[in-house]
Amino acid sequence: MAELKKFLIRRMLTFIPTVIGVTLITFMIAYVIPADPARAWAGGEKASQKAIELIRQRYHMDEPWYAQYWFLVTSLAKGELIDPRTHNPVMYDIMKRFPVTIELALFSFVFILIIGIPLGIISAIKKDSIIDTFVRFFALTGVSTPVFWLGYLLIYVFFVMFRVINIVGKPPDPAVVITGIPIIDALLIGDFKTVNQHVARYWLPGFVLGFMGAGVLARFVRNSFLEALSSDYIEFLKAKGVPKLRLWRHALKNALVPIVTVLGLQFGGLLSGTPITETVFSLPGMGRYAIQSIQNIDFPAIVAVTFLFAIIYVTANLIVDILYAIIDPRVRY
Amino acid sequence: MKPILEIKDLHVHFYTYAGVVKAIAGVSFTVYEGETFALVGETGCGKSVTSRAITRLIESPGRIVKGSVIYHTKDGRKIDLLKLPEAELRAIRGKEIAYIFQDPTAALDPLYTSGYQVAEAMVVHRTVRSWKDGIKRAIEILRSVLIPDPEKRVKAYPHELSGGMKQRVVIGTSLSNRPRVLIADEPTTALDVTIQAQILKLIESLKRRHNATVMLITHNMGVVAEIADRVAVMYAGKIVEIGNVFQIFKNPQHPYTKGLLKAVPNPLIKVEKLESIPGTVPNLINPPPGCRFHPRCPFVMDVCRVEEPPMVEVEPGHQVACWLYTKR
Repeated sequence: MAELKKFLIRRMLTFIPTVIGVTLITFMIAYVIPADPARAWAGGEKASQKAIELIRQRYHMDEPWYAQYWFLVTSLAKGELIDPRTHNPVMYDIMKRFPVTIELALFSFVFILIIGIPLGIISAIKKDSIIDTFVRFFALTGVSTPVFWLGYLLIYVFFVMFRVINIVGKPPDPAVVITGIPIIDALLIGDFKTVNQHVARYWLPGFVLGFMGAGVLARFVRNSFLEALSSDYIEFLKAKGVPKLRLWRHALKNALVPIVTVLGLQFGGLLSGTPITETVFSLPGMGRYAIQSIQNIDFPAIVAVTFLFAIIYVTANLIVDILYAIIDPRVRY
Repeated sequence: MKPILEIKDLHVHFYTYAGVVKAIAGVSFTVYEGETFALVGETGCGKSVTSRAITRLIESPGRIVKGSVIYHTKDGRKIDLLKLPEAELRAIRGKEIAYIFQDPTAALDPLYTSGYQVAEAMVVHRTVRSWKDGIKRAIEILRSVLIPDPEKRVKAYPHELSGGMKQRVVIGTSLSNRPRVLIADEPTTALDVTIQAQILKLIESLKRRHNATVMLITHNMGVVAEIADRVAVMYAGKIVEIGNVFQIFKNPQHPYTKGLLKAVPNPLIKVEKLESIPGTVPNLINPPPGCRFHPRCPFVMDVCRVEEPPMVEVEPGHQVACWLYTKR
């Protein structure tokens, strides 16, 4: 356990350069854009010179780039950075939208898991059968189906034709805040009415966002499971007289390492998929907020969103690394 | 001598993209209770495939196309393992007929402890009451295969053990249910020379203690001379000569056996110079017609190229498949 603690501390330290690097690159891209953000924030063409000057001064825009970056990051960390567009602290705006995005990502992650893993296993066991062909086809369809197309198609089916979903607004939050993610809090306090409302609102966007990942995961599970099944130890287990189910359990556990790796990457990938899904399903989440910020050259908000995404990404990878060690005794910190 | 395994006219084919590989073409032999039977031949001659076909451990694209494997049970029944339903066969695998594989590093699941894997063999065959009992028995088994400090080693993962230790774990797993037949598929090939002798000695002493029958698959003639009672020599998917160890080493009949013995230091006869057999192993997609050894045989005759030689007995218990010994 002491080793785990050391490993965690070491990994946390590597967060710092990652996050600095990501925010710096984002800032530099925003910085070199040949437009005058101060003018844009002040109101565009008709902005008064005085307002522009004031904004320049407030955001340290007359200073060199590193000073600007330093100002941006430090005031962001302190929670003092004011968004020039909404006039709220950037972190306040983001934290209001963050639960929506995380909930969406969680829903699609669940879809990825419950579709991808069983489908992959079945297609490996029934290798080269009709089911296997179907899974391959499904994976290909998943990867090549644009989120907006599938989204509108399913909205047409479930909203226009059958009226079984709701596509506006945000369901109410539960009374108590524990983790900050509404559906988990509602589950924790046993508020199933709120849980139901959240499921009703999020299942379709979650499915649409997870559709692509589920196909990819199914293919991945299939291949790593098949590879594990053809190992020597599986043959030795057969020679030992081990029944099929137990054989599959051995193979699946061995196949988990590559599967977990892909799942970690997919969770990060889901975040990048949220802007379109949130727009299609009018969910007031962080992805949509990021898109709007980009349109308005609102780079304090862009840097803040990137910062948060980067942290989620590295955390997901950290969890993957910890899972490796739980699955495989050969991995030591 | 009572037979325990009778392999009759076994054919195994592999269906590959390049064509059908006729890996085993009509192999027949009998293993008697209590003996150590060696199956020898060079790499790719089909000895491993033969041993695995006995309990139908042939994976796709391979398929057993013909033949029978008669197993004589303890209570005197005869069952054809190739026709047995999967569930009944599974009850025999690992309990009555157990295997030791060539590479212990690959044969053990890296994610489970050695104790778990030894106990698993007993748990699935219900020879222990619970996992707890299984682990307790596993400690005794690891001690019996001469693993030092077995109480600690049961909790060790395969990567924490040396190659020799891993092979001991594999042997312990195979012997955990006291099988009547132990099929050892090149048990020492992947190990250090210094460990090889220890492992062979271990297999021999365990065989004597449990009164088991051992079928040893190897290409190492030294190992054969050391522990085998009877020997079958395989070439390109067929058995070319069978006899007891003295007959094979002192009085080899088939040109291939002779060549094989000239190619390795013979422990029974002093050899001045090692010789190699000219040519290479034939492609088994299109095997040579007639005797499969004829393209490499120094005594080749016309009949060898067209017709397969039958098995003939040259002395009691010594059979050879070669036209040189067939009266026509």
